[in-house]
Amino acid sequence: MTQPVTIIMIEDDEGHARLIERNIRRSGVNNEIVSFQNGTDAMQHLFGADGSGLVQKGNALLILLDLNLPDMTGIDILRQIKENKYLKASPVVVLTTTDDSQEIKRCYELGCNVYITKPVNYENFANAIRQLGLFFSVIQVPPAAP
Amino acid sequence: MTAEAHRRRTFWQILLFAAGLFVLTGISAGSVYLVNKAREDNQWVVHTIEVENQINSLLLEIRRAESSARGFLLTQADSFKIDHEKAVAAITPALDKLTRQSADNPAQRENVEKLRAAIETRLGQFAQEMEFIRQGQPDKAAALIREVVSTDATAAITKVATGMIHEEERLFRLRSENADRSQTFAASMTGIGSGLVVVLALISTWLVRRSARARDEAEARLRDANLNLESVVDERTADLREANDEIQRFAYIVSHDLRSPLVNIMGFTSELEELGGDIFRRIGGLAQVSANGAPLAPAGPGEIVLEGADKQLSEDFSEALGFIKTSIAKMDRLISAILNLTREGRREFQPVKIDTRELIEAIVSTLAHQAAEARAEIHIEPLPDIVSDRLAIEQIFSNLIDNAIKYLKNGVPGEIRIRGRTKLGYAIFEISDNGRGIDPKDHQRIFDLFRRAGTQDKPGQGIGLAHVRALVRRLGGTMSVSSELNAGSTFTITLPIAWNVSNRNRDR
Repeated sequence: MTQPVTIIMIEDDEGHARLIERNIRRSGVNNEIVSFQNGTDAMQHLFGADGSGLVQKGNALLILLDLNLPDMTGIDILRQIKENKYLKASPVVVLTTTDDSQEIKRCYELGCNVYITKPVNYENFANAIRQLGLFFSVIQVPPAAP
Repeated sequence: MTAEAHRRRTFWQILLFAAGLFVLTGISAGSVYLVNKAREDNQWVVHTIEVENQINSLLLEIRRAESSARGFLLTQADSFKIDHEKAVAAITPALDKLTRQSADNPAQRENVEKLRAAIETRLGQFAQEMEFIRQGQPDKAAALIREVVSTDATAAITKVATGMIHEEERLFRLRSENADRSQTFAASMTGIGSGLVVVLALISTWLVRRSARARDEAEARLRDANLNLESVVDERTADLREANDEIQRFAYIVSHDLRSPLVNIMGFTSELEELGGDIFRRIGGLAQVSANGAPLAPAGPGEIVLEGADKQLSEDFSEALGFIKTSIAKMDRLISAILNLTREGRREFQPVKIDTRELIEAIVSTLAHQAAEARAEIHIEPLPDIVSDRLAIEQIFSNLIDNAIKYLKNGVPGEIRIRGRTKLGYAIFEISDNGRGIDPKDHQRIFDLFRRAGTQDKPGQGIGLAHVRALVRRLGGTMSVSSELNAGSTFTITLPIAWNVSNRNRDR
């Protein structure tokens, strides 16, 4: 258990990605963040060339997922992650602009761990990200003790 | 088939029917008349024959009397005498009968009179002859017979009788011809009439068949038109449904996608704000450094006080950011409103039985605080219960009552009335107030999204009435307003008493 958690951020909007990253960093989380701007690249990275997910075996991941992607819906990615035996243990945080109760319900049914509506209000957003940071630090596996 | 053609056809049919009736009546009357006439003519023919017979039998009786008288004279046998007496006795009744029979014909009557005179003379002679024989003077009797043969009486009888027979024969010919003519006429009349009736029947049949065909064609066309209409209606309904769905999707996507850049704008504005704070702190620090001439450790936030032009710059910067943030907040509210509206448009309605009074009392109690502040009294009059979507009805009434409280006249105690009645399967609700009213030119505008009217002294997005109207429409109802500036407003909502899922929910 020496491996730090890698944050996988699947977010097509560069601005959003940058804001999320900054706020994560501001909250004092220094884990590696791997960004993807579309679903295809993210799927490639997560499931590997053979699509089995074997490449991520043993890796500690936290996935930040936007539901509105240009090439596929985040719901599909969420379902596939939760159906994969290597990936289903990784926490998924859904970040989206929609606060539609039906969609939220659907995401939780599919196994998402946290659903965050992107607020325009910066203070609330930063607060949410900071709380998420606390969550990160809790799950962050500490580096090997000296 | 046009109405004109239809009228013309009906007219012709009636005319044809009338003609048929007329012809039939004519034939019947003519037939009865002609048959009667033929019978009469035949009677006359029979009569003529009878008269002729009677004349012949009279002559026969006279001859019999003559011959039996002669036989008696020759043989003195009683049988001849009896025979003679029988014949003589038969002559007068036969003559009387002939007189009666020929009463109709003046010429014959005259002849009969002549005949009667001659016969009476001859009967007198018979009596004389018999008298001579009885007295035993056969010679005198024979002489008398010889004398009689040469006298006029016998000749006259023969002549007159022959004349009468000739006359009757003439009459017989005439009357036979008459009877024949009558019968022929009757027969031809019946024939022609029957033919006419058959022709009329044929024309009528043809007309009926033609009109039946026209009717069949019209029915077929009507059926086609109906089918066509149905398919057109289905098509249009499908189009409308599709358009409506598309608008819903469009509104949802637009508002959703508009939010995405807004997140960036807001986020980076906040970043800018922070950056600005950092920059002005540094400027302040630098200014202090240059003023004091000695470097200072970086000061903590809030410790730097800007002065002069720097302060002005900082304030301008903050003001600009402030406007941006206010605008973003407003835009966010508008987008949220659109999102909520479209979401509302997609929500499935559940019809339930609603105790309208209870529902409105609940709304009024939640608004009691605002009402007390505005010094408004709310009167609820008896209301009809309806079957509808509870949440939608709640939203409709709470928006309208809220508006009524919100837009009262300043300083005037408010009076808000909620009335209800039913009409033809619809429940009509009226929410009236004595508030500031709405200018008639704004009556349409207030129902538009993001549009408001009158003095803008109350907070609001201009969404309430647009939302209410959308809900009322989805519930199969209509709403309207009647109002004058400074004279209060009355909002009227017409809703079906029993709203049913099948008519609108199916669309979504």
